Amino acid sequence: MTAFQSSEQVRIAAPARYKKGSILADWLSSTDHKIIGHLYLITSFCFFLIAGLMALIIRTQLFEPNLSIVSDQQYNELFTMHGTIMLLLFATPLFVGFANEIMPLQIGAPDVAFPRLNLLSYYMFLFGGLIVTFSFLTPGGSAAFGWYAYSPLTSAFYSPGVGADMWIMGLTLAGLGTILGGVNFVTTIFCMRAPGMTMFRMPIFTWNALLTSILILLAFPVLAAALLVLEIDRKFGALVFEPQSGGAILWQHLFWFFGHPEVYILALPFFGVATEILPVFSRKPLFGYKGLIAATVAIAGLSMTVWAHHMFTTGAVLLPFFSFMTYLIAVPTGVKFFNWLGTIWRGQLTFEAPMLFILGFMIVFLFGGLTGVILASPPLDFAVNGSYFVVAHFHYVLFGTVVFCMFGGFYFWWPKWTGKLLDNRLGVWHFWFVFIGFNTTFLVQHWLGVIGMPRRVPNYPDLPHIATTLNQISTVGAFILGVSNLFFFWNVYKTWKHGERVTEDDPWGFSNSLEWATSCPPPRHNFTSIPRIRSERPAFDLHHPNVRAGRDPAERQAIGAGHH
Amino acid sequence: MSGLAVVTTGCTSNAFTRMGMLPPVTDQGKVTLTLWQGSWIAAWAVGIVVWGGILWAIAFHRKRGDGLPQQVRYNLPIEILYTVLPFIMVGVLFYFTARDENYITKNPAHPNVIVNVIAEQWTWEFQYPQYPVTSSAAAFRHVTEVGAMWSPDAKTQHLPLLVIPENETVRFNLTSLDVIHGFWVVPFEFKRQVIPGFKNRFTVTPDKTGSFIGRCSELCGVYHGRMLFRIRIVTPAQFRSWINGQQAQQDRSGGAQ
Amino acid sequence: MRVEGWLFLGSAIFFGVADVFYWNLAHDPTGGTALAMAVGLAFLTGFYILYTGRRLPLRPEDDKQGEIEQGTGELGFFSPHSWWPLFVGLAAATAALGVAIGWWLFLIGALALVLAVIGFVFEYYRGHYAH
Repeated sequence: MTAFQSSEQVRIAAPARYKKGSILADWLSSTDHKIIGHLYLITSFCFFLIAGLMALIIRTQLFEPNLSIVSDQQYNELFTMHGTIMLLLFATPLFVGFANEIMPLQIGAPDVAFPRLNLLSYYMFLFGGLIVTFSFLTPGGSAAFGWYAYSPLTSAFYSPGVGADMWIMGLTLAGLGTILGGVNFVTTIFCMRAPGMTMFRMPIFTWNALLTSILILLAFPVLAAALLVLEIDRKFGALVFEPQSGGAILWQHLFWFFGHPEVYILALPFFGVATEILPVFSRKPLFGYKGLIAATVAIAGLSMTVWAHHMFTTGAVLLPFFSFMTYLIAVPTGVKFFNWLGTIWRGQLTFEAPMLFILGFMIVFLFGGLTGVILASPPLDFAVNGSYFVVAHFHYVLFGTVVFCMFGGFYFWWPKWTGKLLDNRLGVWHFWFVFIGFNTTFLVQHWLGVIGMPRRVPNYPDLPHIATTLNQISTVGAFILGVSNLFFFWNVYKTWKHGERVTEDDPWGFSNSLEWATSCPPPRHNFTSIPRIRSERPAFDLHHPNVRAGRDPAERQAIGAGHH
Repeated sequence: MSGLAVVTTGCTSNAFTRMGMLPPVTDQGKVTLTLWQGSWIAAWAVGIVVWGGILWAIAFHRKRGDGLPQQVRYNLPIEILYTVLPFIMVGVLFYFTARDENYITKNPAHPNVIVNVIAEQWTWEFQYPQYPVTSSAAAFRHVTEVGAMWSPDAKTQHLPLLVIPENETVRFNLTSLDVIHGFWVVPFEFKRQVIPGFKNRFTVTPDKTGSFIGRCSELCGVYHGRMLFRIRIVTPAQFRSWINGQQAQQDRSGGAQ
Repeated sequence: MRVEGWLFLGSAIFFGVADVFYWNLAHDPTGGTALAMAVGLAFLTGFYILYTGRRLPLRPEDDKQGEIEQGTGELGFFSPHSWWPLFVGLAAATAALGVAIGWWLFLIGALALVLAVIGFVFEYYRGHYAH
């Protein structure tokens, strides 16, 4: 049995001086999944802020029924790019960032299976995203046809201008990067786990990262193919997506065959983040581990069969099939919810920033899930599709999941990534501004949609007066959300400058998964030694060896005998 | 949350029982409204139970002292229960959905009135193919209502007018001349995409008179937000006299309003 | 590698059943084909994993009694750092932008891409690492 090397000893070995610019060069050529994770998280967060600014402009334009803050064309560009950036250049790469940072540590691997491919995937995302964003600077402006780009509006005739082509090619490049990332993660999880880390002892975040990567492999190639064919239509005059070829509906099928799994690609990893955090701050194990895995597998599988619920109003799809599948997918989602509830139930809860954000996620996502069940019914969808009701629904599920759990994950794993804890009081202020700002912005939008405000309109002079009031409330909320980020920036800066270094592997005290059994931050290849793995909570077993919870005697004995 | 909204904006209790939906003006819309109300009752019930559970845990299961709580990992009966119950709930919802959907999407073979809706960037045209215009000077062969395309210089917007009778089956045939549009009349509680290259149609039976605004519900280019129309539901007698008037006028002038 | 293989193979079966239902009920060629492609991807991966996995001995990570010592020794080669991903990324971006902007740029990007990919692939077979 080798002695456990303390983190002090590891730190002494690190170099003390850095040449100017060498950190940057280090990062840009790094094959360390942790550094690449930093790159992904920082870049995607920058895209989040850019798209958030666009949202503020949109909400300003909608403050009164007939403003002209921006022209109609600019407005269309703004919501197109807001959606595109948020979904494809913020939330998707954010998953890749989190998976990079955490997953190899959670399975006891020294890195991912293909480290250089990992960095390449990052660059494809970065450059693809820059191509998409720089389309704003072209003479014709950026793409203005909405993030789901319905044909024939996207044809060269109805959307001339190189901005649309840059949108298409930038997303193709970024999408290719995502696919390669998915390949990397599946291979790593299948082939590089530490001894004793069986599939059914992996943390739920890793399980979700695996299922997300499988969905990426299934869905993104369809997007890439559709985008490239669209580009061929635009550049070479092909007629694939033209009306006379049935192209309008063809595009919708292809896009949504990707588009629906995409939203689960966004949701599943952050469900995983929530699942990691709840047990730690409840001081109890996760409730129903196997049930959760089964539910997540069911969600992933079903997500491939529901795509045309985005097409109910086309009159061209088999309503009962898609409605039935969509109702079905609500069941495992509900199961996950009850598992989370079971985890905090009769726990010893404390409310540090990570826990606040995850509880906020649960409260918000529940409402989004309920409106989703409403939308699963075609007759109800006929009434509210294409209106602000849908906008409210998807912000509740997407923002509720991705953003709340992102911040929860940031506060939780910051010490692991940087060696310092973020300030908790600032974190609490941050949370309340996000929670209040978010609900103020989006709750009223349900009502706006039901009384008839369509999506993607810059003005609404024909709506009753209540619509103006509701829009104004929503705009105020959006600015509160904008301000909330200032707490986060201040926290990050303050911690960077004056934060105290953590000395333990697990500053939270009751963490479960393997990343909490190595130093904060970990050494270059993650572990100087790994504890024996006999359950789904190896770090907890290491740090609390006298807690026995109905495990079989052999396991108990092995854990009691100590670690390696 | 809804109570707060009611208080802050002073809406009527009717809007609350309709969960915000506008009073429907068609038979089909009434069916949709009932389904909406029933679904929301189920949704609120689930919401109250689950939010209640979360808030209960936050209030009463806080950390007290340094001991660890019972490290419960699973409970098979409860897990089975909360898997089976949602199945039953969605089964019920699906049954009512399928039933109502069949009613709403029915297209009877011989509707009383047929309207051809033609959508184009960024206005609407409404043709009444049952009512020919006979003069050879006429621009159209049937009674037609055309809208003026909105422009940024327009002082007022001339919105195309759609007139239909109540208590009669009205079929809409939807065609687009260019990109995908969406035909949406809010108090129908219904919309349908207007897709170039794909013929769409739906039938409603209006049961109330009134004047409403219709909208385009599918992004169709720069002036998508301006693509409104007026819809007027009138009594059958008023409808017939309006049609006669239009026929006469379009016979004479060869133009349409 | 049974769990891993069945994850994919099970998905293939599910998509296949769904596709059969979908095709018979909807006769939609787009969705029907897309689901069939999904079956193909899942089946290929699942079958390969199960088939190869069958020939492997019990891996330490699949052993519930696995000891960390069983993983002693060299785990593999991990590139210490590399500039080639940046070069490949830049080249790919140039080619992608070239499709949008103009064929001259695409040709430059395509050429650069070929060179960069060759450099990337052979990085650890040349110079210091040649063997």
